[in-house]
Amino acid sequence: MDDLISDLPQSILESILTRLPIRDAVKTSILSRKWRYKWASITELVFDDECVSSSHDGNAVEQSLVKFITRSLFLHLGPIHKFQVSTCYLQSCPDIDQWILFLSRNSDVRELILKLGEDEWVRLPSCLFSCKKLTHLELSCCELDPPPQFKGFSCLRSLSLHRVLVAANEIENLIWNCPLLENLALSYLDDSLAITIRAPNLKYLYLEGDFTDIFLENTPLLLTLSVVMYMADDAAEHLELEQSSNCNFVKVLTRVPRLVSLAGRAYFAKYLSIGDDPGPLLITFDHLKIIELFEVSFEDIKEVLVLLRLITSSPNLEEFWISAGASTLPAEAPDCLDIWERECPVDWTFKQLKVVKMTDVNGIPHEMDLIKFLLGSSPVLKTMTISHSTYFKHDRMDMLIELLRFRRASSEAEIIFLQE
Amino acid sequence: MSSSSSSSLPPCPKKMITLKSSDGETFQIEETAALQSKTLENMIDENCASTPIPLRSINGKILAKVVEFCNKHAEVGVDAESLHAWDAEFVNVEYTTLFDYILAANFLEIPTLLDLASGVVGDMIKGKTPDEIRKMFNINDAFSPEEEEEVRRANQWAFE
Repeated sequence: MDDLISDLPQSILESILTRLPIRDAVKTSILSRKWRYKWASITELVFDDECVSSSHDGNAVEQSLVKFITRSLFLHLGPIHKFQVSTCYLQSCPDIDQWILFLSRNSDVRELILKLGEDEWVRLPSCLFSCKKLTHLELSCCELDPPPQFKGFSCLRSLSLHRVLVAANEIENLIWNCPLLENLALSYLDDSLAITIRAPNLKYLYLEGDFTDIFLENTPLLLTLSVVMYMADDAAEHLELEQSSNCNFVKVLTRVPRLVSLAGRAYFAKYLSIGDDPGPLLITFDHLKIIELFEVSFEDIKEVLVLLRLITSSPNLEEFWISAGASTLPAEAPDCLDIWERECPVDWTFKQLKVVKMTDVNGIPHEMDLIKFLLGSSPVLKTMTISHSTYFKHDRMDMLIELLRFRRASSEAEIIFLQE
Repeated sequence: MSSSSSSSLPPCPKKMITLKSSDGETFQIEETAALQSKTLENMIDENCASTPIPLRSINGKILAKVVEFCNKHAEVGVDAESLHAWDAEFVNVEYTTLFDYILAANFLEIPTLLDLASGVVGDMIKGKTPDEIRKMFNINDAFSPEEEEEVRRANQWAFE
Protein backbone atom coordinates (compact mmCIF):
# COMPACT_ATOMS: atom_id res chain seq x y z
CA MET A 1 0.00 0.00 0.00
CA ASP A 2 1.11 3.56 -0.70
CA ASP A 3 1.95 6.28 1.75
CA LEU A 4 -1.13 8.45 1.30
CA ILE A 5 -0.49 10.97 4.02
CA SER A 6 3.04 12.32 3.46
CA ASP A 7 2.29 13.91 0.09
CA LEU A 8 -0.92 15.62 1.06
CA PRO A 9 -0.77 19.35 0.30
CA GLN A 10 0.83 21.34 3.13
CA SER A 11 -2.45 23.17 3.84
CA ILE A 12 -4.18 19.84 4.54
CA LEU A 13 -1.34 18.53 6.67
CA GLU A 14 -1.48 21.77 8.62
CA SER A 15 -5.17 21.30 9.18
CA ILE A 16 -4.43 17.79 10.52
CA LEU A 17 -1.45 18.86 12.63
CA THR A 18 -3.39 21.80 14.08
CA ARG A 19 -5.87 19.33 15.50
CA LEU A 20 -3.15 17.50 17.42
CA PRO A 21 -1.85 18.58 20.79
CA ILE A 22 1.26 20.58 19.84
CA ARG A 23 3.56 18.08 21.51
CA ASP A 24 2.27 15.33 19.21
CA ALA A 25 2.60 17.70 16.26
CA VAL A 26 6.28 18.42 17.05
CA LYS A 27 6.92 14.71 17.49
CA THR A 28 5.87 14.05 13.88
CA SER A 29 9.25 15.58 12.94
CA ILE A 30 10.78 12.17 13.57
CA LEU A 31 8.46 10.21 11.27
CA SER A 32 10.47 10.68 8.08
CA ARG A 33 12.49 13.17 6.05
CA LYS A 34 9.33 14.64 4.54
CA TRP A 35 7.86 15.18 7.98
CA ARG A 36 10.85 16.80 9.62
CA TYR A 37 9.67 20.42 9.33
CA LYS A 38 6.03 19.98 8.48
CA TRP A 39 4.84 20.87 11.97
CA ALA A 40 6.93 24.05 11.94
CA SER A 41 4.59 26.00 9.72
CA ILE A 42 1.32 25.36 11.50
CA THR A 43 -0.33 28.72 12.03
CA GLU A 44 -2.04 27.92 15.32
CA LEU A 45 0.15 27.35 18.37
CA VAL A 46 -1.71 26.18 21.45
CA PHE A 47 0.34 25.43 24.57
CA ASP A 48 -0.89 23.95 27.80
CA ASP A 49 0.31 21.74 30.65
CA GLU A 50 0.02 18.69 28.38
CA CYS A 51 3.08 19.93 26.48
CA VAL A 52 5.36 18.73 29.25
CA SER A 53 5.54 15.68 31.45
CA SER A 54 3.61 16.11 34.64
CA SER A 55 5.56 16.44 37.85
CA HIS A 56 4.92 17.33 41.45
CA ASP A 57 7.55 19.99 41.19
CA GLY A 58 5.78 23.10 39.92
CA ASN A 59 9.06 24.88 39.18
CA ALA A 60 10.26 22.03 37.00
CA VAL A 61 6.99 22.06 35.04
CA GLU A 62 7.24 25.81 34.62
CA GLN A 63 10.80 25.58 33.31
CA SER A 64 10.00 22.77 30.89
CA LEU A 65 7.00 24.66 29.62
CA VAL A 66 8.97 27.88 29.11
CA LYS A 67 11.60 25.89 27.22
CA PHE A 68 8.96 24.14 25.12
CA ILE A 69 7.26 27.38 24.09
CA THR A 70 10.49 29.26 23.43
CA ARG A 71 11.92 26.42 21.28
CA SER A 72 8.68 26.07 19.36
CA LEU A 73 8.69 29.76 18.47
CA PHE A 74 12.38 29.59 17.62
CA LEU A 75 11.86 26.73 15.15
CA HIS A 76 8.58 28.03 13.80
CA LEU A 77 8.37 29.08 10.19
CA GLY A 78 5.96 31.61 8.66
CA PRO A 79 2.92 33.39 10.00
CA ILE A 80 1.34 32.65 13.38
CA HIS A 81 -2.38 33.36 13.44
CA LYS A 82 -3.15 32.01 16.86
CA PHE A 83 -1.05 31.88 20.00
CA GLN A 84 -2.48 30.41 23.16
CA VAL A 85 -0.93 29.58 26.51
CA SER A 86 -3.15 28.00 29.16
CA THR A 87 -1.38 26.95 32.33
CA CYS A 88 -1.45 27.52 36.03
CA TYR A 89 2.31 26.97 36.38
CA LEU A 90 3.60 30.07 34.69
CA GLN A 91 4.53 33.08 36.80
CA SER A 92 5.84 36.44 35.70
CA CYS A 93 8.99 35.83 33.68
CA PRO A 94 10.92 37.69 31.00
CA ASP A 95 10.13 34.87 28.57
CA ILE A 96 6.46 35.90 28.40
CA ASP A 97 7.51 39.42 27.39
CA GLN A 98 9.78 37.98 24.72
CA TRP A 99 7.07 35.74 23.28
CA ILE A 100 4.73 38.68 23.00
CA LEU A 101 7.44 40.82 21.46
CA PHE A 102 8.09 38.03 18.94
CA LEU A 103 4.37 37.86 18.16
CA SER A 104 3.99 41.62 17.84
CA ARG A 105 6.76 41.58 15.22
CA ASN A 106 4.99 38.72 13.48
CA SER A 107 2.34 41.07 12.20
CA ASP A 108 -0.15 38.31 11.45
CA VAL A 109 -1.21 37.27 14.92
CA ARG A 110 -5.00 37.38 15.12
CA GLU A 111 -5.87 35.37 18.18
CA LEU A 112 -4.01 35.79 21.44
CA ILE A 113 -5.07 33.82 24.48
CA LEU A 114 -3.19 33.86 27.77
CA LYS A 115 -4.73 32.03 30.69
CA LEU A 116 -2.16 32.11 33.43
CA GLY A 117 -1.88 30.97 37.03
CA GLU A 118 -4.22 32.42 39.64
CA ASP A 119 -1.46 33.18 42.14
CA GLU A 120 -0.43 36.50 40.74
CA TRP A 121 -1.08 39.01 38.02
CA VAL A 122 1.39 38.79 35.18
CA ARG A 123 2.15 42.25 33.88
CA LEU A 124 2.02 42.19 30.09
CA PRO A 125 4.47 44.23 28.03
CA SER A 126 3.27 47.25 26.11
CA CYS A 127 4.23 45.62 22.78
CA LEU A 128 1.00 43.61 23.17
CA PHE A 129 -0.78 46.76 22.06
CA SER A 130 1.06 46.81 18.75
CA CYS A 131 -0.50 43.51 17.61
CA LYS A 132 -2.61 45.43 15.16
CA LYS A 133 -4.37 42.52 13.49
CA LEU A 134 -5.81 40.97 16.63
CA THR A 135 -9.41 39.82 16.20
CA HIS A 136 -9.61 37.80 19.41
CA LEU A 137 -7.96 38.65 22.72
CA GLU A 138 -8.52 36.60 25.83
CA LEU A 139 -6.54 37.24 29.01
CA SER A 140 -6.76 35.95 32.51
CA CYS A 141 -4.68 36.79 35.55
CA CYS A 142 -2.78 39.54 33.80
CA GLU A 143 -2.13 43.19 34.42
CA LEU A 144 -2.70 45.61 31.59
CA ASP A 145 -1.54 49.15 31.17
CA PRO A 146 -2.15 50.45 27.65
CA PRO A 147 0.50 52.99 26.57
CA PRO A 148 -0.72 56.56 25.99
CA GLN A 149 -0.14 56.29 22.25
CA PHE A 150 -2.36 53.20 21.96
CA LYS A 151 -5.10 53.90 19.43
CA GLY A 152 -7.14 50.73 19.80
CA PHE A 153 -7.38 47.34 18.10
CA SER A 154 -9.12 48.20 14.87
CA CYS A 155 -9.90 44.56 13.94
CA LEU A 156 -10.78 43.18 17.36
CA ARG A 157 -14.14 41.37 17.46
CA SER A 158 -13.88 39.42 20.66
CA LEU A 159 -12.42 40.51 24.01
CA SER A 160 -12.44 38.50 27.19
CA LEU A 161 -10.79 39.66 30.40
CA HIS A 162 -10.89 37.48 33.50
CA ARG A 163 -9.19 38.58 36.70
CA VAL A 164 -7.34 41.28 34.83
CA LEU A 165 -5.91 44.23 36.64
CA VAL A 166 -6.66 47.35 34.64
CA ALA A 167 -7.88 50.83 35.54
CA ALA A 168 -11.62 51.40 34.98
CA ASN A 169 -11.10 54.27 32.55
CA GLU A 170 -8.51 52.21 30.63
CA ILE A 171 -10.91 49.34 30.18
CA GLU A 172 -13.65 51.71 29.00
CA ASN A 173 -11.27 53.34 26.54
CA LEU A 174 -10.05 49.97 25.34
CA ILE A 175 -13.64 48.88 24.60
CA TRP A 176 -14.46 52.17 22.92
CA ASN A 177 -11.32 51.95 20.78
CA CYS A 178 -12.23 48.58 19.31
CA PRO A 179 -14.87 49.69 16.84
CA LEU A 180 -15.71 46.21 15.52
CA LEU A 181 -16.11 44.58 18.92
CA GLU A 182 -18.99 42.08 18.91
CA ASN A 183 -18.24 39.87 21.86
CA LEU A 184 -17.20 41.11 25.30
CA ALA A 185 -16.74 39.19 28.53
CA LEU A 186 -15.49 40.83 31.71
CA SER A 187 -15.23 38.84 34.89
CA TYR A 188 -13.71 39.48 38.31
CA LEU A 189 -11.87 42.55 37.15
CA ASP A 190 -11.20 44.27 40.40
CA ASP A 191 -12.97 45.55 43.47
CA SER A 192 -16.30 47.27 42.94
CA LEU A 193 -16.45 48.80 39.53
CA ALA A 194 -19.03 50.99 37.86
CA ILE A 195 -18.63 50.27 34.17
CA THR A 196 -19.70 52.23 31.13
CA ILE A 197 -19.80 50.31 27.88
CA ARG A 198 -19.80 52.07 24.56
CA ALA A 199 -19.53 49.56 21.74
CA PRO A 200 -21.74 50.24 18.75
CA ASN A 201 -21.28 46.77 17.22
CA LEU A 202 -21.49 44.72 20.40
CA LYS A 203 -23.73 41.65 20.14
CA TYR A 204 -22.80 39.51 23.16
CA LEU A 205 -22.01 40.87 26.60
CA TYR A 206 -21.09 38.83 29.67
CA LEU A 207 -20.37 40.52 32.96
CA GLU A 208 -19.49 38.73 36.17
CA GLY A 209 -18.23 40.16 39.40
CA ASP A 210 -18.55 43.01 41.77
CA PHE A 211 -20.06 45.67 39.48
CA THR A 212 -21.66 48.54 41.37
CA ASP A 213 -23.27 49.99 38.30
CA ILE A 214 -23.66 49.22 34.61
CA PHE A 215 -24.11 51.86 31.96
CA LEU A 216 -24.83 50.64 28.46
CA GLU A 217 -24.34 53.88 26.60
CA ASN A 218 -23.95 52.90 23.01
CA THR A 219 -24.88 49.26 22.48
CA PRO A 220 -27.79 49.37 20.06
CA LEU A 221 -27.08 45.98 18.48
CA LEU A 222 -26.76 43.89 21.64
CA LEU A 223 -28.40 40.46 21.29
CA THR A 224 -27.33 38.66 24.44
CA LEU A 225 -26.83 40.17 27.88
CA SER A 226 -25.70 37.94 30.68
CA VAL A 227 -24.85 39.37 34.09
CA VAL A 228 -23.72 37.70 37.28
CA MET A 229 -23.56 40.47 39.79
CA TYR A 230 -22.12 40.20 43.26
CA MET A 231 -22.64 42.80 45.87
CA ALA A 232 -22.29 42.97 49.63
CA ASP A 233 -25.66 43.40 51.33
CA ASP A 234 -24.71 46.70 52.88
CA ALA A 235 -23.47 47.95 49.52
CA ALA A 236 -26.85 47.10 48.01
CA GLU A 237 -28.70 49.03 50.69
CA HIS A 238 -26.32 51.90 50.32
CA LEU A 239 -26.98 52.01 46.58
CA GLU A 240 -30.69 51.97 47.17
CA LEU A 241 -30.45 55.07 49.31
CA GLU A 242 -28.19 56.79 46.86
CA GLN A 243 -30.29 56.32 43.74
CA SER A 244 -33.90 56.81 44.57
CA SER A 245 -35.21 58.16 41.30
CA ASN A 246 -33.55 56.72 38.22
CA CYS A 247 -34.57 53.07 37.99
CA ASN A 248 -31.74 50.73 36.99
CA PHE A 249 -34.17 48.60 35.02
CA VAL A 250 -34.93 51.49 32.71
CA LYS A 251 -31.33 52.63 32.64
CA VAL A 252 -29.91 49.27 31.58
CA LEU A 253 -32.58 47.61 29.51
CA THR A 254 -34.15 50.38 27.50
CA ARG A 255 -30.82 50.91 25.75
CA VAL A 256 -30.86 47.44 24.21
CA PRO A 257 -33.98 47.24 22.05
CA ARG A 258 -32.81 44.26 19.99
CA LEU A 259 -32.05 41.97 22.89
CA VAL A 260 -32.81 38.31 22.18
CA SER A 261 -31.57 36.70 25.37
CA LEU A 262 -31.30 38.08 28.89
CA ALA A 263 -29.74 36.20 31.79
CA GLY A 264 -29.20 37.57 35.26
CA ARG A 265 -27.84 35.88 38.36
CA ALA A 266 -27.03 36.70 41.95
CA TYR A 267 -27.79 40.36 42.64
CA PHE A 268 -28.82 41.33 39.13
CA ALA A 269 -32.59 41.20 39.76
CA LYS A 270 -32.07 43.22 42.92
CA TYR A 271 -29.88 45.68 41.04
CA LEU A 272 -32.53 46.16 38.34
CA SER A 273 -35.15 46.90 40.97
CA ILE A 274 -33.24 49.77 42.56
CA GLY A 275 -34.94 53.11 41.93
CA ASP A 276 -38.58 54.10 41.54
CA ASP A 277 -41.04 51.87 39.72
CA PRO A 278 -41.01 53.12 36.13
CA GLY A 279 -44.65 52.19 35.50
CA PRO A 280 -45.58 50.48 32.23
CA LEU A 281 -42.63 50.73 29.86
CA LEU A 282 -42.70 52.84 26.75
CA ILE A 283 -40.74 50.29 24.71
CA THR A 284 -41.36 46.62 24.02
CA PHE A 285 -38.66 44.02 23.64
CA ASP A 286 -39.97 42.54 20.43
CA HIS A 287 -36.92 40.35 19.88
CA LEU A 288 -36.54 39.01 23.39
CA LYS A 289 -37.02 35.23 23.31
CA ILE A 290 -35.21 33.94 26.35
CA ILE A 291 -35.21 35.29 29.89
CA GLU A 292 -33.32 33.59 32.70
CA LEU A 293 -33.48 35.34 36.03
CA PHE A 294 -32.03 33.69 39.07
CA GLU A 295 -32.30 34.51 42.72
CA VAL A 296 -35.30 36.78 42.35
CA SER A 297 -36.74 37.68 45.71
CA PHE A 298 -40.51 37.25 45.49
CA GLU A 299 -40.89 38.85 48.90
CA ASP A 300 -39.45 42.12 47.62
CA ILE A 301 -42.26 43.97 45.88
CA LYS A 302 -39.80 46.03 43.82
CA GLU A 303 -38.19 42.95 42.33
CA VAL A 304 -41.62 41.47 41.62
CA LEU A 305 -42.60 44.69 39.85
CA VAL A 306 -39.44 44.68 37.74
CA LEU A 307 -40.15 41.10 36.75
CA LEU A 308 -43.71 41.99 35.87
CA ARG A 309 -42.65 45.02 33.80
CA LEU A 310 -40.04 42.95 32.01
CA ILE A 311 -42.24 40.06 30.95
CA THR A 312 -45.19 42.25 30.05
CA SER A 313 -42.89 44.14 27.68
CA SER A 314 -41.70 40.94 26.00
CA PRO A 315 -44.57 39.79 23.77
CA ASN A 316 -42.48 37.25 21.86
CA LEU A 317 -40.93 35.45 24.79
CA GLU A 318 -40.34 31.73 24.09
CA GLU A 319 -38.48 30.47 27.14
CA PHE A 320 -38.65 31.75 30.67
CA TRP A 321 -36.52 30.39 33.49
CA ILE A 322 -36.75 31.88 36.92
CA SER A 323 -35.41 30.85 40.27
CA ALA A 324 -36.50 32.34 43.53
CA GLY A 325 -33.94 33.49 46.03
CA ALA A 326 -34.03 33.59 49.77
CA SER A 327 -35.11 36.93 51.09
CA THR A 328 -34.58 38.53 54.43
CA LEU A 329 -37.40 41.01 53.98
CA PRO A 330 -40.67 40.46 55.86
CA ALA A 331 -43.64 39.44 53.76
CA GLU A 332 -45.36 42.39 52.13
CA ALA A 333 -48.54 43.90 53.45
CA PRO A 334 -51.62 42.38 51.79
CA ASP A 335 -52.41 45.51 49.76
CA CYS A 336 -49.48 44.76 47.43
CA LEU A 337 -50.76 41.32 46.62
CA ASP A 338 -53.06 42.51 43.87
CA ILE A 339 -50.31 43.98 41.68
CA TRP A 340 -50.61 41.13 39.19
CA GLU A 341 -54.25 42.00 38.60
CA ARG A 342 -53.66 45.71 38.83
CA GLU A 343 -50.50 46.11 36.77
CA CYS A 344 -50.66 43.45 34.07
CA PRO A 345 -52.05 44.74 30.79
CA VAL A 346 -55.59 43.50 30.15
CA ASP A 347 -55.75 40.67 27.57
CA TRP A 348 -51.97 40.23 27.57
CA THR A 349 -50.85 37.10 25.74
CA PHE A 350 -47.46 35.45 25.37
CA LYS A 351 -47.94 34.36 21.78
CA GLN A 352 -44.73 32.29 21.67
CA LEU A 353 -44.09 31.17 25.22
CA LYS A 354 -43.50 27.41 25.16
CA VAL A 355 -41.25 26.55 28.08
CA VAL A 356 -41.33 27.84 31.64
CA LYS A 357 -39.03 26.62 34.38
CA MET A 358 -39.38 27.79 37.94
CA THR A 359 -36.97 26.55 40.52
CA ASP A 360 -36.58 27.09 44.26
CA VAL A 361 -40.25 27.99 44.54
CA ASN A 362 -41.48 28.68 48.08
CA GLY A 363 -45.18 28.76 47.29
CA ILE A 364 -45.61 32.36 48.48
CA PRO A 365 -48.36 34.55 46.98
CA HIS A 366 -46.33 36.42 44.34
CA GLU A 367 -44.91 33.18 43.01
CA MET A 368 -48.37 31.65 42.76
CA ASP A 369 -49.67 34.80 41.07
CA LEU A 370 -46.85 34.65 38.51
CA ILE A 371 -47.66 31.00 37.77
CA LYS A 372 -51.35 31.87 37.45
CA PHE A 373 -50.57 34.76 35.11
CA LEU A 374 -48.26 32.68 32.91
CA LEU A 375 -50.69 29.75 32.67
CA GLY A 376 -53.60 32.04 31.89
CA SER A 377 -51.88 34.05 29.18
CA SER A 378 -49.72 31.54 27.28
CA PRO A 379 -51.84 29.80 24.63
CA VAL A 380 -48.98 27.71 23.16
CA LEU A 381 -47.30 26.71 26.43
CA LYS A 382 -45.89 23.18 26.29
CA THR A 383 -44.26 22.62 29.66
CA MET A 384 -44.06 24.38 32.96
CA THR A 385 -41.58 22.76 35.32
CA ILE A 386 -41.77 23.70 38.95
CA SER A 387 -39.39 22.61 41.65
CA HIS A 388 -39.65 23.82 45.20
CA SER A 389 -36.91 25.13 47.38
CA THR A 390 -35.38 23.14 50.19
CA TYR A 391 -36.84 25.69 52.58
CA PHE A 392 -40.34 25.08 51.30
CA LYS A 393 -42.57 26.61 53.95
CA HIS A 394 -46.03 25.62 52.81
CA ASP A 395 -47.93 22.41 52.56
CA ARG A 396 -47.09 20.87 49.21
CA MET A 397 -50.64 19.56 48.82
CA ASP A 398 -52.10 23.05 49.31
CA MET A 399 -49.84 24.39 46.61
CA LEU A 400 -50.81 21.62 44.21
CA ILE A 401 -54.52 22.15 44.87
CA GLU A 402 -54.11 25.84 44.15
CA LEU A 403 -52.11 25.07 40.98
CA LEU A 404 -54.82 22.74 39.69
CA ARG A 405 -57.42 25.49 39.86
CA PHE A 406 -55.49 27.91 37.63
CA ARG A 407 -56.97 28.45 34.21
CA ARG A 408 -54.68 27.26 31.41
CA ALA A 409 -54.78 29.11 28.11
CA SER A 410 -52.97 26.22 26.43
CA SER A 411 -54.69 22.86 26.28
CA GLU A 412 -51.28 21.29 25.60
CA ALA A 413 -49.61 22.66 28.70
CA GLU A 414 -48.04 20.03 30.90
CA ILE A 415 -47.17 20.95 34.45
CA ILE A 416 -44.25 19.02 35.83
CA PHE A 417 -43.85 19.26 39.56
CA LEU A 418 -40.44 18.00 40.60
CA GLN A 419 -40.28 16.48 44.04
CA GLU A 420 -36.57 16.87 44.66
CA MET B 1 -46.75 40.59 7.05
CA SER B 2 -46.68 39.05 3.56
CA SER B 3 -47.67 41.45 0.81
CA SER B 4 -50.29 40.48 -1.74
CA SER B 5 -47.80 40.32 -4.62
CA SER B 6 -45.46 37.81 -2.92
CA SER B 7 -48.25 35.56 -1.68
CA SER B 8 -49.69 35.19 -5.18
CA LEU B 9 -46.39 33.92 -6.65
CA PRO B 10 -45.98 30.13 -7.00
CA PRO B 11 -43.38 28.59 -4.66
CA CYS B 12 -39.89 29.06 -6.06
CA PRO B 13 -38.71 25.79 -7.70
CA LYS B 14 -35.58 24.36 -6.15
CA LYS B 15 -32.57 25.25 -8.23
CA MET B 16 -30.47 22.19 -9.01
CA ILE B 17 -26.95 21.93 -10.34
CA THR B 18 -25.26 18.89 -11.86
CA LEU B 19 -21.85 17.54 -10.90
CA LYS B 20 -19.92 15.05 -13.01
CA SER B 21 -17.38 12.70 -11.42
CA SER B 22 -14.04 11.60 -12.91
CA ASP B 23 -15.63 8.30 -13.99
CA GLY B 24 -18.54 10.00 -15.74
CA GLU B 25 -21.31 9.62 -13.14
CA THR B 26 -23.59 12.62 -12.73
CA PHE B 27 -25.11 13.88 -9.49
CA GLN B 28 -27.84 16.44 -8.90
CA ILE B 29 -27.49 18.71 -5.91
CA GLU B 30 -29.62 21.60 -4.75
CA GLU B 31 -27.93 24.93 -5.13
CA THR B 32 -28.50 25.77 -1.46
CA ALA B 33 -26.64 22.59 -0.43
CA ALA B 34 -23.88 23.18 -2.98
CA LEU B 35 -23.14 26.61 -1.51
CA GLN B 36 -21.23 24.94 1.32
CA SER B 37 -18.49 24.45 -1.23
CA LYS B 38 -16.67 27.71 -1.90
CA THR B 39 -15.49 26.32 -5.24
CA LEU B 40 -19.05 25.61 -6.36
CA GLU B 41 -20.27 28.89 -4.89
CA ASN B 42 -17.79 30.77 -7.07
CA MET B 43 -18.93 28.86 -10.15
CA ILE B 44 -22.57 29.57 -9.33
CA ASP B 45 -21.76 33.26 -8.84
CA GLU B 46 -20.01 33.36 -12.19
CA ASN B 47 -22.92 31.60 -13.92
CA CYS B 48 -20.77 28.59 -14.79
CA ALA B 49 -23.11 26.11 -13.13
CA SER B 50 -25.82 25.82 -15.78
CA THR B 51 -24.09 22.86 -17.47
CA PRO B 52 -22.76 19.76 -15.63
CA ILE B 53 -19.62 20.70 -13.69
CA PRO B 54 -16.80 18.22 -14.35
CA LEU B 55 -14.83 17.26 -11.23
CA ARG B 56 -11.87 15.36 -12.65
CA SER B 57 -10.21 14.57 -9.34
CA ILE B 58 -13.23 13.03 -7.58
CA ASN B 59 -14.64 9.61 -8.47
CA GLY B 60 -18.32 8.70 -8.35
CA LYS B 61 -18.15 6.77 -5.10
CA ILE B 62 -16.60 9.68 -3.20
CA LEU B 63 -18.67 12.36 -4.93
CA ALA B 64 -21.86 10.53 -3.91
CA LYS B 65 -20.73 10.71 -0.29
CA VAL B 66 -19.74 14.38 -0.57
CA VAL B 67 -23.18 15.22 -2.01
CA GLU B 68 -24.78 13.25 0.82
CA PHE B 69 -22.71 15.25 3.34
CA CYS B 70 -23.69 18.61 1.82
CA ASN B 71 -27.38 17.63 1.72
CA LYS B 72 -27.32 16.60 5.36
CA HIS B 73 -25.60 19.80 6.44
CA ALA B 74 -28.09 21.91 4.45
CA GLU B 75 -31.11 20.29 6.11
CA VAL B 76 -33.04 22.65 8.31
CA GLY B 77 -34.11 21.77 11.81
CA VAL B 78 -31.40 19.18 12.55
CA ASP B 79 -30.23 19.60 16.15
CA ALA B 80 -26.51 19.82 16.84
CA GLU B 81 -26.40 16.55 18.76
CA SER B 82 -27.93 14.37 16.06
CA LEU B 83 -25.81 16.06 13.39
CA HIS B 84 -22.75 15.31 15.48
CA ALA B 85 -23.75 11.65 15.68
CA TRP B 86 -24.40 11.59 11.93
CA ASP B 87 -20.96 13.13 11.25
CA ALA B 88 -19.25 10.57 13.48
CA GLU B 89 -20.90 7.77 11.50
CA PHE B 90 -20.02 9.47 8.20
CA VAL B 91 -16.28 9.44 8.91
CA ASN B 92 -16.31 5.96 10.40
CA VAL B 93 -14.55 4.59 7.28
CA GLU B 94 -11.23 3.14 6.13
CA TYR B 95 -8.51 5.74 6.35
CA THR B 96 -7.93 5.58 2.59
CA THR B 97 -11.53 6.75 2.10
CA LEU B 98 -10.93 9.39 4.74
CA PHE B 99 -8.06 10.79 2.66
CA ASP B 100 -10.34 10.81 -0.38
CA TYR B 101 -12.84 12.88 1.61
CA ILE B 102 -10.06 15.23 2.67
CA LEU B 103 -8.82 15.72 -0.89
CA ALA B 104 -12.35 16.23 -2.19
CA ALA B 105 -13.16 18.68 0.62
CA ASN B 106 -9.91 20.51 -0.09
CA PHE B 107 -10.61 20.73 -3.82
CA LEU B 108 -14.23 21.78 -3.37
CA GLU B 109 -13.36 23.97 -0.36
CA ILE B 110 -15.89 22.57 2.07
CA PRO B 111 -14.47 23.64 5.45
CA THR B 112 -16.92 21.61 7.57
CA LEU B 113 -15.97 18.36 5.86
CA LEU B 114 -12.26 19.21 5.83
CA ASP B 115 -12.33 19.97 9.55
CA LEU B 116 -14.28 16.82 10.33
CA ALA B 117 -12.03 14.46 8.36
CA SER B 118 -8.77 16.15 9.45
CA GLY B 119 -9.91 15.84 13.03
CA VAL B 120 -10.33 12.09 12.63
CA VAL B 121 -6.83 11.72 11.14
CA GLY B 122 -5.51 13.85 14.01
CA ASP B 123 -7.20 11.52 16.49
CA MET B 124 -5.54 8.55 14.79
CA ILE B 125 -2.09 10.10 15.29
CA LYS B 126 -2.65 11.38 18.82
CA GLY B 127 -0.71 9.52 21.50
CA LYS B 128 0.89 7.02 19.09
CA THR B 129 4.62 6.26 18.88
CA PRO B 130 6.47 7.19 15.67
CA ASP B 131 6.64 3.50 14.73
CA GLU B 132 2.93 3.02 15.15
CA ILE B 133 2.21 6.09 13.01
CA ARG B 134 4.64 4.99 10.27
CA LYS B 135 3.02 1.57 10.18
CA MET B 136 -0.52 2.93 10.17
CA PHE B 137 0.08 5.20 7.17
CA ASN B 138 2.91 3.26 5.42
CA ILE B 139 5.38 6.06 5.83
CA ASN B 140 8.55 4.63 4.27
CA ASP B 141 11.30 7.20 3.88
CA ALA B 142 12.36 6.83 7.51
CA PHE B 143 15.61 8.35 8.75
CA SER B 144 18.74 6.32 9.22
CA PRO B 145 19.39 5.68 12.92
CA GLU B 146 22.05 8.43 12.92
CA GLU B 147 19.70 10.93 11.30
CA GLU B 148 16.90 10.01 13.64
CA GLU B 149 19.24 10.60 16.56
CA GLU B 150 20.00 14.07 15.21
CA VAL B 151 16.32 14.97 14.84
CA ARG B 152 15.60 13.64 18.30
CA ARG B 153 18.43 15.72 19.72
CA ALA B 154 17.19 18.89 17.98
CA ASN B 155 13.68 18.35 19.28
CA GLN B 156 14.65 16.90 22.63
CA TRP B 157 12.43 19.44 24.44
CA ALA B 158 9.36 17.83 22.90
CA PHE B 159 10.37 14.27 23.67
CA GLU B 160 11.24 14.79 27.33
